[in-house]
Amino acid sequence: MTSIGTGYDLQNSVFSPDGRNFQVEYAVKAVENGGTCVGIRCKDGVVLAVEKIITSKLLKPGANKRIATVDHNIGVVSSGLVPDGRHFVSRARDEASSWRSTYKAPITLAALAGRLGGYVQAYTLYSSVRPFGVTAIVGAWDSEAELGVDGQVGSGPSIGAGGKVAGTKAGGPSLYMIEPSGLYWGYYGAATGKGRQAAKAELEKLDLASANLSIEAGVKEAARIIYVAHEDSKDKEFELEMSWISSTDGPTKGRHQEVPKDILEEAEKAAKKAMEGEDEEETTATEGETMQE
Amino acid sequence: MNHLPQAWGRPRDDVYGPYDASYLQSSHPQTHTQQPIVTGTSVLAVKFKDGVVIAADNLASYGSLARFTDVKRLRPFNSRAIVGIGGDVSDMQYIDRLLNSLDIAENYSSEGHGLNARNLHTYLSKVMYKRRSDINPLWNQMLVAGLDGDDKPFLSSVDLLGTTFSSPTLATGFGAHLAQPLLRKVADDESQVSDVAREKAVEAVKECMKVLFYRDARSLDKYSIAVVTKEGGVELKEDEQLENQSWQFADTIRGYGRTQEV
Amino acid sequence: MASLLGSNTTLTSNPSYSFSQAPHNNAAAGSKEHSFYPYTDNGGSTLGITGNDFAIIAGDTRSTSGYSINTRYSPKVFRIGGDDETGEGAHIMLSVVGFAADGTALKERLNAIVKMYKYQHGKKMSVKACAQRLATILYGKRFFPYYVTAILGGLDEDGKGALYSYDPVGSYEREQCRAAGAAASLIMPFLDNQVNFKNQYLPGTGEGHDLQARQAEPLPRHQVEQLVRDAFTSATERHIEVGDGLQILVLTKEGVEEAFFHLKRD
Repeated sequence: MTSIGTGYDLQNSVFSPDGRNFQVEYAVKAVENGGTCVGIRCKDGVVLAVEKIITSKLLKPGANKRIATVDHNIGVVSSGLVPDGRHFVSRARDEASSWRSTYKAPITLAALAGRLGGYVQAYTLYSSVRPFGVTAIVGAWDSEAELGVDGQVGSGPSIGAGGKVAGTKAGGPSLYMIEPSGLYWGYYGAATGKGRQAAKAELEKLDLASANLSIEAGVKEAARIIYVAHEDSKDKEFELEMSWISSTDGPTKGRHQEVPKDILEEAEKAAKKAMEGEDEEETTATEGETMQE
Repeated sequence: MNHLPQAWGRPRDDVYGPYDASYLQSSHPQTHTQQPIVTGTSVLAVKFKDGVVIAADNLASYGSLARFTDVKRLRPFNSRAIVGIGGDVSDMQYIDRLLNSLDIAENYSSEGHGLNARNLHTYLSKVMYKRRSDINPLWNQMLVAGLDGDDKPFLSSVDLLGTTFSSPTLATGFGAHLAQPLLRKVADDESQVSDVAREKAVEAVKECMKVLFYRDARSLDKYSIAVVTKEGGVELKEDEQLENQSWQFADTIRGYGRTQEV
Repeated sequence: MASLLGSNTTLTSNPSYSFSQAPHNNAAAGSKEHSFYPYTDNGGSTLGITGNDFAIIAGDTRSTSGYSINTRYSPKVFRIGGDDETGEGAHIMLSVVGFAADGTALKERLNAIVKMYKYQHGKKMSVKACAQRLATILYGKRFFPYYVTAILGGLDEDGKGALYSYDPVGSYEREQCRAAGAAASLIMPFLDNQVNFKNQYLPGTGEGHDLQARQAEPLPRHQVEQLVRDAFTSATERHIEVGDGLQILVLTKEGVEEAFFHLKRD
């Protein structure tokens, strides 16, 4: 922490002489303490997962959801300060609904990520505010079906082009991660929070770029990755929360939903089993990964 | 005759009368909808033993012009509620977007039971009454069909004045005069609803759609029909065709087929 | 050019310019369809009668628009200040007749106020207070009235039946009995005669002005109930907007009892 004592870290929006905004970096620290979040972009949908550390035995299991719905087809999960995450979600919902009232159509995730990135970035520019203490992963299935505008009642001309371009393909799975600096990038797989290093290492093994992984398999992988990433902080108990958005003809019909209880439990069981197997084989490998962090 | 360039190509006052300048823009006070423009006609619905059947034709009229013939006037809300809308089509589209955003907001949380048809009707009646009280009405009459909080059949109406009422059978617009008396033969009383089978209700509604097509000049033989039940959710068909029409009766009516008085 | 034309109106008259460049007023030349009328009449009638230890409010359940029957069952009498949406535990009754949407809005508003009163003060609102509050609500919309005739019923501080009747803008008085709505003019004279014994004289008390009027006294409950039923049966015969069903609410110190009777559906 070379910044301490220099004074450049005491105020937001102020650069240090070597071009850093320390308040943003401290916000990143807050994120690094949060429960691990994972997002996987599969060929036919997106999976979101979060490791929810149980901070008290008095908390009701399954309550206090950490994954939020922004629009029918969009989900958000975040690591870091939970209230900041809530505000972030609230902003995302406002953006999505205002987009709808302007364009009479759902917002694409690319556009939403852009709006949210801009919003988060604005919190690095003023001394009167502090940056967001969250890194958020947003996932969506942008409909591939030909959508009418919201409120459309007819089906348009039955002959002729009708303003449509033949052969264009729209929509599909989409995954973005937005950081406290306002930086946002699209990913095949994204991880943030305490166990992000281990999670990223696991994600890289999946070869997501070639889009072979189905959403059902993605659910299992996400569950397993959360368990792997939890390894280092084994003392604390956690709860696994997962949601998914499949294609329009998939299990969620293009909507963002919680992963059903039976599928979640199955994935968790498989994850635990994989962990046991791993423990026996490669104890040394896990240690190696710990060193990286 | 007037030779000034300003008057070229304009209707002559001496022939057509002076131009009605009230149609021109000027510094008016704020104005609201005074009349519907593009309109949909009747919506019909009947409750039966374990659900509700609702229908409306696919026509949007511009005055007496059959302007749009593929208009979907039954707007499904979720798996247990659907709204049938008559009256102004642009207001219907506004209402549809309103319901869409309501549905999104309802799904922010996965907890709770979501809105049932009764909740939806209450919501819509508040919207309609507020708008009429602002003297800025949404020019529609709507039927909300589906299931209530106890999964029992629910059917209720709300109109541009915010007036609400509920009945085993309901019909808006022209249907209130032509179809409602026929539908009441199926179920005139809440107590009779439990004796009405789904097939009977569907049959009655289809028969009434036919009567309306015969007698309502602003109607169409293409229609949408939906059945809401607990088991099947909302089963909506939007491209139905009236069948078994017959103009047999026409030749007994003077002015149709019958040319001579016997 | 424009100013020339504008200043000289004779220039524009003959031969005329089809598009007048003179400053025009924006009044419609011919008739143009206009205006939204925010009210309608949903027909029906209500009636209230009090006795020594009870109050009765009744209403038919038909809802109409024009010659059409909207529904055969649309209650016009409500419980006010109940503990839940069923109205259980209510100690006040309200009937509204006229424009049904305003009636519903008024009922919901008064119900919310009476409930809030209980939550805030820890006691039930007296009927007297509620009656005054209802008048205030109605008068508050003096320039865009709730187009309804309301009747409020309850038991007063002495446990006697109390009935208040209103006009749409909040003018009110306490009465023994009152009929309202479409068939008010049919029912009210009947009530005058049968409840307040108007035009009833004691036989053999004299001739002309010496003849003594029969003094009104509170009627027993069963008799009042029969009067209510007779009033509505007769109103149904003579008025097209009245019929289908009769809803009767009876309030005693025990609470509200509800009864339903069929009326002719023609």
